[in-house]
Amino acid sequence: MKTKPIITAFVFSAVVSFSALAEAGTLENLERERALTINTMLNPEIAIKDRQAKIASAKVRLIDLERMVLRDKKLTGRNTPTVRQAFENYDLTFLVHGATEKNISIVDAWLNQLGMTTQSVLSASLRRR
Amino acid sequence: MSYNKQTIRFQLLASVAVIAVGALLASSSSVHAAADANNIPAWNPKSSEKLIKLPATYLKKSLDHDFQESTLGLAIQKTEEKTGLKSQTLADLRDAIEEAEGELKLELRHQFLGEKRNFLELISEKNRYRKKHLRTKHRLFERMLKRMAEKNRGMTPVRQELVNRQEGARQRFKSSLAKVDMKLFQVSVVPESRYTVKYAENLAAIEKLASRIQSHRMNTSVQVDGQPLSKEDYIRQLLADAQAELAVLEQEETILGYMAKLVAFDALALSEQALDAEMADSDRPSASSPAKAVDYFLTN
Repeated sequence: MKTKPIITAFVFSAVVSFSALAEAGTLENLERERALTINTMLNPEIAIKDRQAKIASAKVRLIDLERMVLRDKKLTGRNTPTVRQAFENYDLTFLVHGATEKNISIVDAWLNQLGMTTQSVLSASLRRR
Repeated sequence: MSYNKQTIRFQLLASVAVIAVGALLASSSSVHAAADANNIPAWNPKSSEKLIKLPATYLKKSLDHDFQESTLGLAIQKTEEKTGLKSQTLADLRDAIEEAEGELKLELRHQFLGEKRNFLELISEKNRYRKKHLRTKHRLFERMLKRMAEKNRGMTPVRQELVNRQEGARQRFKSSLAKVDMKLFQVSVVPESRYTVKYAENLAAIEKLASRIQSHRMNTSVQVDGQPLSKEDYIRQLLADAQAELAVLEQEETILGYMAKLVAFDALALSEQALDAEMADSDRPSASSPAKAVDYFLTN
């Protein structure tokens, strides 16, 4: 319950930051899949077992989509905010590859990139403003 | 002097005057400049956009072939044939003049002058065509270089930074691919996707083709003095060659001008010679002075 507002904020920011992707093609697909995966990771309403199955299935799709983006020559030098933002942080955009390289789960990889650790999330308290 | 001889000499004088004027005009560039716009056949090379895509080694051959097929190329070829024949005629006439005498020699010299003038006109015509060819080539290479520069332009610092980041991401992906594959597909339960399998198959085929392309003889870079040239450098080299040919052509026009002047002077000399002969052969009494007529008055 304590972590819910933080998680909701993360999901919201992830969806908002990837919304302007009308023309990117491979990148658009990757960002959509990634946003949905993060949503699944952080959704407290999904049972643990279901979540794991969904993430495993999404991971397979993300691997392919990440590779498609990295190999997409049409994106080379395409100076749009979306493409610039996508290549600003390899570990955040290419979540599965970055996480596998570092031998950590994709949830941890994503939280690390946002300056959060599993511990800090778990120790967060719910306060009224 | 017979009537026929006189008529021939008058005709000779008239035509010599025509040759002198014509020879001087033949080398005049202002007359040809006016004709340039209307009468010269054309060569419209392929668009520079298409030519940029051709391999450097093939570019010149393609352009030369395209030009030879054009009306301008055919016109130059035809003029060259005519010039060759005219050269032969001049050599024959020169030999004939050496052996001829009297009126025949004069007549042959007159013909020789006329042929020299025609020869100069032909050369001048060929040069106009060559000039048009070289100017078209020059403009084409300049357009090609401009297009290439336009493609390279637009690399702003922000875009350059993006390209660098993308290159970095690809390098990182490439260097970690084997490790990631091992972890994802061999150790864990994640199966290899259809995309991964197909991509690997296609990549193997692409690598084979790329290797063949790499070793293909048409893919070798152009070399000048043993130094390999990039496509841009090669086009610049072709542009410089065209410029040099234009400069040489202009020098040749000066030579033509001098040749025309010589023909004009020769025509005037021939005209003067013909006039002298006419005067010497005249039936008119020579101008008499009282002193020369003294003898008539000394006797009864």
